[in-house]
Amino acid sequence: MAGTASAGAICVAGCSCRSSSRWEFLSDAQAETLAALADQIIPEDDFPSASQAGVIVYIDRQLMGPYRRHRDAYQAGFESADRISREFCGVALAQAPPPIRQEVTSALAEQRSDFFELAREHIMEGYYGSPRHGGNRDAVSWRMLGLEEPPLRGRAKYDLSKGAGS
Amino acid sequence: MEGRKVSIMKRVLLLVALVAGISLICAAGAIGGATYYYTSQRGAGCAGCHEMADTVCTVHVSSHRTVGCFDCHSTGLATKLRHVAVHLSGRLPEVIRLRDVNVVEMTAKCQSCHQREYATWSAGPHSATYAQIFTNAQQNAARRLMDDCFRCHGMHFSGPIGEMVQPLSLEGPWRIVRAGFAAEPTMPCQACHWIHREGLPATKPTAHFSVAGARVGESLAFFDRREQMHFAIAELPLPQIFDGPRPVGISPDQRQALCYACHAPRPPEAGSAAARRNWGVQAGSGDDRTPLGVHEGISCFACHSGHGEDTRASCATCHPAMSDCGQAVEKMDTTYANPASKHNIHWVKCEDCHTRGVPKPLHRRSGL
Amino acid sequence: MNRANAVIVGAGAAGGIVAKELSTAGLSVVLFERGPWYTPADCRKDDLRNQRTTVLGNAFGPEDRGFPRVVVDAGGVARIVRPSDNAYQNNAACVGVGTLSYGAQAWRYMPQDFRMKSVYGTPPGSSLEDWPIGYEDLEPFYDQAEYEIGISGDYAPDPFHGPRRRGLPMPPLPPNREWEILEPAARRLGLHPFAIPMLRNSVPYNDRGPCMRCRWCVGFACEVDAKNGSQNTVIPQALATGNCRLRTRCTAMEILMDESGHACGVEYIDENGRRERQLSDIVVVSACAIESARLLLNSKSRLFPNGLGNRYDQVGRHLQGHYYTGALGYFDRDTYDDIGPGASIAVCDYNHGTPGLCGGGMLANEFIRLPIHMIDRLPPGTPRWGHGHKQAMREWHRRTIIVMGPTQQIPTAEARVTLDPAVKDKWGAPVARIQGNCHPHTFEIGTVQAQRAQTWLQEAGAIHTTLMNSRPQMISAGQHQAGTCRMGTDPRNSVVNQSCQLHDVDNVFVIDGSVHVSNGGFNPALTIMAIAYYASGALLRGWKGARYRS
Repeated sequence: MAGTASAGAICVAGCSCRSSSRWEFLSDAQAETLAALADQIIPEDDFPSASQAGVIVYIDRQLMGPYRRHRDAYQAGFESADRISREFCGVALAQAPPPIRQEVTSALAEQRSDFFELAREHIMEGYYGSPRHGGNRDAVSWRMLGLEEPPLRGRAKYDLSKGAGS
Repeated sequence: MEGRKVSIMKRVLLLVALVAGISLICAAGAIGGATYYYTSQRGAGCAGCHEMADTVCTVHVSSHRTVGCFDCHSTGLATKLRHVAVHLSGRLPEVIRLRDVNVVEMTAKCQSCHQREYATWSAGPHSATYAQIFTNAQQNAARRLMDDCFRCHGMHFSGPIGEMVQPLSLEGPWRIVRAGFAAEPTMPCQACHWIHREGLPATKPTAHFSVAGARVGESLAFFDRREQMHFAIAELPLPQIFDGPRPVGISPDQRQALCYACHAPRPPEAGSAAARRNWGVQAGSGDDRTPLGVHEGISCFACHSGHGEDTRASCATCHPAMSDCGQAVEKMDTTYANPASKHNIHWVKCEDCHTRGVPKPLHRRSGL
Repeated sequence: MNRANAVIVGAGAAGGIVAKELSTAGLSVVLFERGPWYTPADCRKDDLRNQRTTVLGNAFGPEDRGFPRVVVDAGGVARIVRPSDNAYQNNAACVGVGTLSYGAQAWRYMPQDFRMKSVYGTPPGSSLEDWPIGYEDLEPFYDQAEYEIGISGDYAPDPFHGPRRRGLPMPPLPPNREWEILEPAARRLGLHPFAIPMLRNSVPYNDRGPCMRCRWCVGFACEVDAKNGSQNTVIPQALATGNCRLRTRCTAMEILMDESGHACGVEYIDENGRRERQLSDIVVVSACAIESARLLLNSKSRLFPNGLGNRYDQVGRHLQGHYYTGALGYFDRDTYDDIGPGASIAVCDYNHGTPGLCGGGMLANEFIRLPIHMIDRLPPGTPRWGHGHKQAMREWHRRTIIVMGPTQQIPTAEARVTLDPAVKDKWGAPVARIQGNCHPHTFEIGTVQAQRAQTWLQEAGAIHTTLMNSRPQMISAGQHQAGTCRMGTDPRNSVVNQSCQLHDVDNVFVIDGSVHVSNGGFNPALTIMAIAYYASGALLRGWKGARYRS
């Protein structure tokens, strides 16, 4: 008991020192790269962009869960995106100006690279999927599509004690 | 030999006592230290663990920003140990949220500041307990218990119906099987209030019950059980409702969206006239109470107060003591005066009483 | 250890019914289910993790770890797939199995569906056959399933169905907006549209309330319990008799055989991972086509070295499902009204009778689509990302209708389930290896069906349509899986007899979609249920008790 408590206290103290990133899996730099890409896939208009709607949170969380199997693909994908960006303008994707970001995204899309297809799918899931997974903040995309959330449904009036339904 | 044995025993005992003593001191120190660490600096300690950081940030821009984490949340050792265990195991939940037992505990914490609201709420129907809702024999014999009941009664309970009440038969007798929940409210403060919602600290009095220009409280939100999150009322839908084929006028008061989340209409039932003629959702269907007749178009909040839902003296908000026809409105034959009346106050029309034609309003007759 | 009269493996559409019929007749039954008893609380309408959209996993099992399968593509390349991968051909692992999360369309096959070879002949290279039983044999049991499980709908406008002894116990749900758009168009085309029969309460029935018209049916469990499956009908009834014991999280590994060649029970892994045995007079295999075949193949013994019922290498062959084709129509007005279950209208004009085609299929509108389903269903030419894609999502999400249907598959003996020689599940048993495809004529039928769906949508006013008829690279079995333990009279080309009893072992029965000789142009659930009632009746009439073992 006492040992557990001490261990707990030590751990808590330890945590505060290494809480460098707000992400669970991604590094801050990777998150910026992903956001740069995601906001090209789903840009801001009257409605939020992918990253504004929490898509990075979604992907980051899933990389700790079911998408653990895609970690390597993301690592390699970030590198290739940055490499293309550097070829275009000498800096990494997250530092590149918006027109370059768009060109890099186009280049990735034209290659139909596995990473682009994977990331596109996950970004769409994060934006148009259930908000409980960290994306689609406050169900913003569903409202954008004109869907009511939560849906309104009253309960039926019936009385089984009077013989209905048997 | 004997003496040496005794002295060994003594030494062992002493050692054990010493170790125990040191452990105890360490434990006390750790607990005390951890408690101080957590409770000081308005949550900075909590934010130290990266899992909590987002939540702590949210609180700091919420209307409850002046309240410390532990004014509302448990500081118990068990809770902290659980947090540590989860953190070390790495088996984090996808989203950190209050468990149903924590929500139950919080109601009392809300009361410690919001005493008047709490008192009104406890006196009203929306403080109904799990036992009141789920062991009601008349209700349970008429409609089978199901998971969807929790959408409005017990939205913070995340399990299936069978883990709350048994048996799930139409015969009963029913009992609450989830320990410690029988006397707890099914619609706690957080059913309609988003405590961490972004907003400014409120200055009292906050209640604005006038229909015109009603101020929408920043914390008003509906807790959706499917997503297990709040939806702010600005984002909640107001339905389009019909009376037969005719669209019903609804007050634009957005606060009503909160009411409609549960007091909602249904699409026409199979075999009904509305279904045969393909009318839209009908006023009064399902749990809907959208006013028709003389009260069409007015907001729920014109008559119902915010926490207790009572309608005491609400007629006077709009009506003079006397109606157009010279009768005191509060004494007319409606469910306001008498719950057994066949004229539901939500839908009452002049024709319901004036069956042979509605007389002209008095003020027009007198030429005023 | 108590010996039971019957062990049933799998608590799905068929297993639940057999359990109820046998336990009601007084037999002691142990019903094994590898999954748990899930409730709507376990999924809560999660559009990324349910039983249909499984990008974050299966909501109702199996879990992704420990239960792989091997699939072989058209090029002969084998790969290991996890249960949430579409190629896995998953149904579910839970009490109710597919019936907990299905859309609940409840079709009777048509009389011709049982006599495919007689009506059309056998296309070269296919294994199309007649059933040894006909529609008339199953009719009383279709009726029993419709009334006991609970069906709503109205067959009156449909002139193509087989003879029926009576109407349906519940009226159809009121029409939604897609019905309003599609119904007059179908009539103008000379078709016979009608409300899809569904195992869903439209009014209170079986002591449960009606549908609340939310749009979350396929892939999800019903929060108002208005969708009828074995988990809320026959299984509770079986348990209420006191004669049936349900063992959840218990996986049957092998059917045990005695020295005289009779089954004497099953070996299973219990909920704590321990290997146990349950002895019984008979064993009923109701584990869905793929796992039923696997269980028989894994039940190797001295007397049956190739697995049970597999003397002629028939177990696992003729694997079928449905090839879904149709069309997507884009409209210049809202078609979407958020009224569930979405699927509302069907035509059976195209199931049979087209010259040059061996059958056809039913066409119906699709269950309501979620935003996540629309990502890649925007009009051709829409950018795949960026402002254009986002704008198109907004423009089209509420303005599309999908009409599609299950094309009757022309089976082949090469579409089959075998045991993978290398890959094992977490309990050490060889996993199912799935290979082959249906007969190519299926794709010809499917394409005609897609064009018919397109015509219907165009008549309904679609301003643009796209065909949905991409050809799958492997058998599309999934939730409609069938046909691995064919019913027949000749042991050389079938596995069970007309009573669903193994030709080789008279106290082992296979009762589920496995016995389907052909799989109709319809969702198969109601037929699986009818067969379960039919086979239970035959089983009880021929009940020999302990003598099964002698």
